[in-house]
Amino acid sequence: MWVWFSKLGSPKWFYELSGKWLPWLIAAMVIFMTIGLVWGLVFLPPDYQQGFTSRILIVHVAVAGTSLAFFPLMLVAGIITLVWRMKLADMVAKHAAILGAWFSFITLATGSLWGSVMWGTWWEWTDSRLVSMLFQLFLLLGVISLRSALEDSETAAKACALLSIVGCINVVIIKYSVEWWNTLHQVASPVSLDPSSPNGPQFWIATLIMIVAVYLFLSVSLILSTRNEILERERRSQWVQDLVLKN
Amino acid sequence: MKPHRRKKLGIILFIAAGLSVAVGFTAFALKQNINMFYTPTQVAEGEVGAGQHFRIGGMVKTGTVLGATDSLKVKFVTTDFVSDVPIQYEGILPDLFREGQGIVAEGEMDAAGVFQASRVLAKHDENFMSPEVKAALDAAGASTDNYMPGGAN
Repeated sequence: MWVWFSKLGSPKWFYELSGKWLPWLIAAMVIFMTIGLVWGLVFLPPDYQQGFTSRILIVHVAVAGTSLAFFPLMLVAGIITLVWRMKLADMVAKHAAILGAWFSFITLATGSLWGSVMWGTWWEWTDSRLVSMLFQLFLLLGVISLRSALEDSETAAKACALLSIVGCINVVIIKYSVEWWNTLHQVASPVSLDPSSPNGPQFWIATLIMIVAVYLFLSVSLILSTRNEILERERRSQWVQDLVLKN
Repeated sequence: MKPHRRKKLGIILFIAAGLSVAVGFTAFALKQNINMFYTPTQVAEGEVGAGQHFRIGGMVKTGTVLGATDSLKVKFVTTDFVSDVPIQYEGILPDLFREGQGIVAEGEMDAAGVFQASRVLAKHDENFMSPEVKAALDAAGASTDNYMPGGAN
């Protein structure tokens, strides 16, 4: 296991392996994304109160749920960087922050759209779910700017790992905010297997497909940007120059 | 694992534990401030000071909505099934506002014990239903209005 683990840290090995995975991941992503979006945005039944506005939530729920994965991912990557000095983990953490900020932004934007129609307001400063999500966006922007401000990669990795701990605590707060406190935001919908009861499969299967699609999108984007980073950081090494000559 | 690595991992875990405890205590201390609204029961129990500007959250009690015909004034009663608070509001209500729906209103209590709202927001619950399912449930006499705003607390 340790051999495999240290092998994974080698940028060259990761570059070759991810090159083999990528076509499959992209194909799966396209399939899930197409089914999820077409089903969710064209065929999903309307809600009896919200009408077709509920279709926004297909995107919102999938992106919001996935956006909670970034800080835990960055914390694990940060610990691996600091404890085992694995450069690859640092590259993953760097690009996860950028992607995570986009995910958080899309969550807030789609949520605002829905809220402006349903709640009668697009933003409420007193709602802990909304504010903790905004806090996550700011934390991620903080991580991104910290990394670009600190030239020493060791210091940057330490500072970002520290912010990732704060981010992970905030993820727990985002998740449970609607249960711990009174909020305008509703609690998570319980799924039901019975199509004739509320939250039946006709609603959540499309959401589930979108969640898988968004996770695949996250993996593909992260792998692609990490590969770019590898080529840039290792551009003077022999294997990268061989690769360039070969193509 | 080598000693220096174990030491580093220890430091990270220590910081994580410390921060979690700090955030936990802060959140606990601010519990009431983080809540978006008071429930009618909390208002009835006098948790809100006189003349205080606050938000109240509850259900619109069925059969209590009275709209003026010549203005945007509306009166209704909000309830958490334990206590009721009458609300008066003038303005445009959100589309989702209706009897049996959760709402959050912002304003003050007047001397007569009526909540004078300056804003009314609709709260949507976690249940999604197609019109067919709703119609079938209503026909079967099952209550779909079992929603309590705030949930926990």
